[in-house]
Amino acid sequence: MYEKAKDLCEAFQARGIGRRDLMRRLAALGITAGIADMLVNATATRALAADFDWKAYKGTSLKLLLNKHPYADSMIADLEAFKTLTGMDVTYDIFPEDVYFDKVTAALSSHSTEYDAFMTGAYQTWQYGPAGWLVDMNEFLQDKSKVAPNYDWEDILPNLRASDSWSGKPGDALGGPGAKQWALPWGFEVYMLTYNKPVFDKLKLTPPKNMQELMTTAATITQSGGNGMYGVGLRGSRSWATIHPGFLSGYANFGGRDFTVADGKLKSAVNSKESKEFTAQFVQMVQDSGPKNWATYTWYEVGADLGAGTSGMIYDADSLGYFTATGDTKMKGQLGFAPIAPNPEMSHPTSNVWIWSLAMSNFSKRKDATWLFMQWATGTDHLLFGAREHDMIDPVRSSIWKDSEFQAHMEQKVPGFLETYQVTSPDAKIYFTPQPLFFNVTTDWAAALQRMVAKQIPVSEGLDALAAATDRQMSDAGLG
Amino acid sequence: MAQADMLWRGLRGVALTLVVVFFLFPIFWIVLMSFETNETVLQVPPTLTPHLTLQNYVALLSGKLNTATGIINITFLHNLWNSVLLSTCSVLVALILGVPAAYAFARFRFRGGEDIAFTLLSFRFAPPLLVLLPLTLYFQDIGLSNTYVGLIWIYQLICLPLILWIVRGYFEDASPDIEYAYRVDGHSWWKAFTKIAIPLAGPGIAAAALLSFIFAWNNFVFALVLASADKQPVTVGALAFVTASGIQYGIIAAAIVLSILPTLALALYAQRWLVEGLSLGAVKG
Amino acid sequence: MSEIPVTPPPLPRRPILPRALPYLLSLPALLVCIGILIPFVTAVWYSLERYNLSMPYMRSFIWFRNYISLFTDPDFWNTIQVSLIYTISTVVLELLLGLGIALLLRERSRLNNIISIALLMPLMTAPAIAALMWKLMTNPGFGVLSWLISLVGVTDFKWASSPHTAMFTVVLVDIWVYTPFMMILLLAGLRSLPQQPFEAAKLDGVNAGFVFLRITLPMLTPFLFTAVLFRTLDSIQQFDIIYAMTQGGPGNSLLVFQVRAYLEFFSYTNVGRSAAILMVLWAITYVLSQVFVRQWMKLRERAHGAS
Repeated sequence: MYEKAKDLCEAFQARGIGRRDLMRRLAALGITAGIADMLVNATATRALAADFDWKAYKGTSLKLLLNKHPYADSMIADLEAFKTLTGMDVTYDIFPEDVYFDKVTAALSSHSTEYDAFMTGAYQTWQYGPAGWLVDMNEFLQDKSKVAPNYDWEDILPNLRASDSWSGKPGDALGGPGAKQWALPWGFEVYMLTYNKPVFDKLKLTPPKNMQELMTTAATITQSGGNGMYGVGLRGSRSWATIHPGFLSGYANFGGRDFTVADGKLKSAVNSKESKEFTAQFVQMVQDSGPKNWATYTWYEVGADLGAGTSGMIYDADSLGYFTATGDTKMKGQLGFAPIAPNPEMSHPTSNVWIWSLAMSNFSKRKDATWLFMQWATGTDHLLFGAREHDMIDPVRSSIWKDSEFQAHMEQKVPGFLETYQVTSPDAKIYFTPQPLFFNVTTDWAAALQRMVAKQIPVSEGLDALAAATDRQMSDAGLG
Repeated sequence: MAQADMLWRGLRGVALTLVVVFFLFPIFWIVLMSFETNETVLQVPPTLTPHLTLQNYVALLSGKLNTATGIINITFLHNLWNSVLLSTCSVLVALILGVPAAYAFARFRFRGGEDIAFTLLSFRFAPPLLVLLPLTLYFQDIGLSNTYVGLIWIYQLICLPLILWIVRGYFEDASPDIEYAYRVDGHSWWKAFTKIAIPLAGPGIAAAALLSFIFAWNNFVFALVLASADKQPVTVGALAFVTASGIQYGIIAAAIVLSILPTLALALYAQRWLVEGLSLGAVKG
Repeated sequence: MSEIPVTPPPLPRRPILPRALPYLLSLPALLVCIGILIPFVTAVWYSLERYNLSMPYMRSFIWFRNYISLFTDPDFWNTIQVSLIYTISTVVLELLLGLGIALLLRERSRLNNIISIALLMPLMTAPAIAALMWKLMTNPGFGVLSWLISLVGVTDFKWASSPHTAMFTVVLVDIWVYTPFMMILLLAGLRSLPQQPFEAAKLDGVNAGFVFLRITLPMLTPFLFTAVLFRTLDSIQQFDIIYAMTQGGPGNSLLVFQVRAYLEFFSYTNVGRSAAILMVLWAITYVLSQVFVRQWMKLRERAHGAS
């Protein structure tokens, strides 16, 4: 019987069967969950360890800085496997997103040796990388002796790999020549519509396909949704986070750019014709059918409203839609997903992406040991575990998207999600121009939107003023 | 005349009632909310006979929070402990540093004395970020990042000026003659200081200590900028907590109540001394 | 020449001690204070540099260009304007309210004492926590204040989330927290005033308005002045309430000095500009605090001399 159990585990390891399936079959053999876990860990360790010394830093203890996020939860749930594999210990501090990035900046700018690795987005690496706070991961990736044979770097989606790598020269393309790999992609998100099916049925609506339809659908819901329901949930706080989801995806769809680059100098393009056309519609939509408190909305509120049935739809992250549709919310199981290409002349979406990545602090005193952790955390085994068993629903590895158990899992939990992702993903990438003043520029951008929505300034004038202010900032910093 | 008097008293009563309602209602409402379930909190209009529960406090004290995204471990109790530790130690350090210095300023005219005293008082009024932001850049290099010691040191910006200036006034008010007489009897300077001067200034020292405790407890920006995760006091912890807990408003209210309770209790206990402390001893209560 | 018998002074017994003593006593406090002055000096230096953490290669000494850039930037003038509006409205309203309440509670009676102690409670609440409380109370969904104003027909009031009413909302919170401070200070002042002028006026049957304008107010002026200066110094540096409530938004409507400096540092990693903003604020508070300290010394001498 033991042999049979071991065979099952080997089969699991070879991806022949899924973990859940494995557990069920092991249980049928009379093996309890505890022992089963031990067996699985043991085989996992053996499989991974076959041709690579995972135990090289046995006894070392690492510390992580994490954002409160389901992806982090999924990793924490699997940490034991890493500890068993390497004999290392891992501790972490976890902060909510409001204060998370200030904490990262504080730790890095003070050259703190406390944290070895941390969660970050690609935009943040545009600050941290040139500041000298991050380790260029190419140092490890290109040293074959340090990379486990089964760590398939090429398996990570190319757009994402490129998005985390940059030369540090403002305006240079992401992933271009001379680029350094500032972080490793770990989980990401694209932007689409998630909608309240009951209200769409009640009002006989179909998911909107472009900006015009989105506006009218949202207005209809606001007028006839009942119970104080409003049309479309969007973020609006005075922060970069307001710009990068639905807003920038739609903006890019209309052909809008944040900057034009010429001779290494950046010039704001937020007052272009395309930009004005889209921004006017967006502002109008928030005024007519956005949340009442739009100017304070972060993704937490956007998700909470959709989940409580207060908003008819959201134009935000697929993961936010997923968590709302599957979490402990009033609308659980009653949300639908749909792609959107806001520009009526475009046939497909141009979604911006947010990439939760892992980066290594340059002030870490245990860089080689940290590299083992990062390899494990972005490796196929852990990510497959996260995708199948937890909520790492936007895997960064193409092999996982093709995994049948993952597909079945998603299809069962959120019908229609995968199709929407398939339509949205081909052109999904970062649509911002990389430059170190990203946060100044996008915060000012959000502030400008707030003023337009509050009717303190007309859209066209507001964008002209924003472009002038941005250009002044760029030239102060020597970039414009 | 009597009628005008009645009218006047009536108006005064109405005005006072409005004042009391405005200043006390928010606290009352939050306390009430902290005993309500999330469902009751969300009811509009607010129900007058809410179903009261202790579950919010239980969740806070046990450190386990059930939310939409699963069980969250919360460290609120640890934040509370940090507040106690930071405030108490900061006040103790400030007393040890400040009382002798206050005595020196009160008893001796010495070169540079007033300048030092003014510099120390001016800390009370300088923008705190002016000190905090540069400090973040090299807190690590001087080995103070992520330590209680570093925070207690920087909390002296709040505590030291208060202690120094309030206690100084008390030393000045006490006549030096008693001390001189005591010393003529052959006692050392140190004995005169500890046996005579300090007991005489006792009430002032107590007032200053209580007040600096309250201000240290209520401080937000120092800890926001410099405290790492496990050293955060309750003011910063509560803010972080709001987003982490999602829409668990009852628990947020309970956290608020727990974080203001200590200072409210202290204030009620020590109200006699608050006035002098608040005005740095410029107004006698 | 006759020698006047001189009693040798009993002190100092050990002459070396007294001269060094005050320095020894204040030295520890002084050392701590010097430690705190170092970041201040580095901040002055940073403010003269082009220093963005994310562009270390661009770091250079640029004299006053950070300041020039600030004062030619309409956004910074907005910060000055917002800070001034906040300071003036909080101080003036708190002064009027505080004075009014102090006058109501002037008589020493049991009830008055209980009320004045109860009114201390907001002042003892941490401002950041107070902001959270008001954030809950003004929540559009279930906030009790939103509900109350909806009873009188105002359903579209957005409190801190609209740039039109955000200032009003944070000023309201500031008033809630700090009016008791004004009240308690002025109440102590009122009660310390000599009684004779008031008794004389009462005997002469002078009307209350006249007594207030001609006797109470002039005698109270030093206290008013102290209280106003004290609050102005605090208010112009407000951070906790605004940061906890809106982080400076919506729009640029609440970007007061310290919030702006905080964002410049942490979100934009622009150390030079952040330091320059704080230096401007420091210059303002330095001048004000000089006036305050002088005023405060006068008042203290009076209070302690009289006792």
